[in-house]
Amino acid sequence: MTTEVIKIKGADLQTEEMILNLGPQHPSTHGVLRVILKLDGEVIIAAEPEVGYLHRGTEKLAENRTYPQMLVISDRWDYLSAMSNNLVWCLAVEKLLQIKPPEKADHLRVIMVELNRIASHLVFFGTYGIDIGAYTPFLHAFREREKILDLFEEVSGARMTYNYIRIGGVMADLPADWVGKCRSFLEWMKDRFPEYDTLLTGNPIFQDRTKGIGVLSQAQAITYGVTGPNLRGSGINFDLRKDEPYCSYEKFKFDVPTGANGDCWDRYWVRIQEMKESVKIVEQALDGLPAGETNAKVPRILRPPMGETYAQIEAPRGSLGIYTISDANDKPYRVHVRAPSFINLTMLQEILVGQKVSDVVATLGSIDIVLGEVDR
Amino acid sequence: MIGYFTNIYKVSAALLEGMWVTFKWMFRPSMTVQYPHEKLTPPERFRGTLVFDKDSCTACNLCVKACPTACITLEPYVDPATNKRLAKINWYQIDFGKCNYCRLCEEACPTKPVKSVRHSHGYEWAMTDRKEMNVKWVRP
Repeated sequence: MTTEVIKIKGADLQTEEMILNLGPQHPSTHGVLRVILKLDGEVIIAAEPEVGYLHRGTEKLAENRTYPQMLVISDRWDYLSAMSNNLVWCLAVEKLLQIKPPEKADHLRVIMVELNRIASHLVFFGTYGIDIGAYTPFLHAFREREKILDLFEEVSGARMTYNYIRIGGVMADLPADWVGKCRSFLEWMKDRFPEYDTLLTGNPIFQDRTKGIGVLSQAQAITYGVTGPNLRGSGINFDLRKDEPYCSYEKFKFDVPTGANGDCWDRYWVRIQEMKESVKIVEQALDGLPAGETNAKVPRILRPPMGETYAQIEAPRGSLGIYTISDANDKPYRVHVRAPSFINLTMLQEILVGQKVSDVVATLGSIDIVLGEVDR
Repeated sequence: MIGYFTNIYKVSAALLEGMWVTFKWMFRPSMTVQYPHEKLTPPERFRGTLVFDKDSCTACNLCVKACPTACITLEPYVDPATNKRLAKINWYQIDFGKCNYCRLCEEACPTKPVKSVRHSHGYEWAMTDRKEMNVKWVRP
């Protein structure tokens, strides 16, 4: 910034653009994200997200880990939905090894991933409320999330880094009386949705702050490669669970909610509806839980044949993909993670332009990023 | 002007409805556990701190190979008389600063019926120095 005295020529006042840093240490950036905002008064004329503060180089680490060991690292990408990360890695390696997990393992995987989707969207629900200025929904959301984490703790032994879904199946069968506990949680969860609607969804202040804000058009969403609830919020019906079913998702009946305008409100609403659909899926999976083995026969040391593969699933944040190359060794030659948060974040530079500063946090929160996955 | 007042009415009604939800929860039992005073019991499969049984270990090195962060090191016992490696350990060391608590070492351990290296239910563990995280078991 120059210190020159701005010469005032009559009434024609000169204005200057201002650069404002949002983050990396800002509670509303959900981690360590820096957004460089160029401001003209109160209006944003350019926004540039700067990522990499949480980079741990997991793609490189994978080259030095065996296939089962990489599962432990995969827990740490999107730490709010570690089950999805486990699942996509297992699907990729199973594709390479051409293993088909038993039917029961598929059901268990669906149950875990969908419960994790509820837990992940609950974090979104709670933190988005805080971003807008409502603190109470956060406490309600975390109360329910706690119950899901307790279920996960019983089944896998950990609360965030589960390492439960394994190559060829799952870690172990469900503990005794787990199904009953899960059912009672689902019943509890169903009664909570009307409360959420009263607390946040139906609140006119919340609606005013989100409707018409951060509009992402269908064309923009496709151009930027946005996936998940952000894409469906723009009104595009694309869900890998329907369009390219994995883990026997084709057996379950559920709807794919889509928004209409692609604004913050639609992205929020889609996630709330997805939680309700996930409850339905878990119920169906529990009803049809087959008996039998939970693990396919997997060799002790995994050496997939030479080749490459791409596996993708519908994670809570979008389509999460793994590209692996095997050189017939026990360690992958190359791993690439298509992280949905990272790609969804790119749309920020488009939708922030023309908005007021006070809407930045509302827009950023609605994208629902996890920086662990953005930076990997 | 009418719109202004209807707006105020709508917002305050919504706020009161929201507060009613909160109010209803006020008289239900507390969900939180007052941690240092009350403690929850961890579930059966809980992955707590690792414990090691130095007498049953056969020094087979499987846990070392399974560990994703290479936090386990061990030295097998060599008989000084015959200079042969025996199925015993001299020492076994876990660097808990690196440990992921992932259970891969326990799953790899072949000792039966109780695994030599296994997760306990312990979760209260604090060190003041990074060196203390290197826990070493020595067989006399």
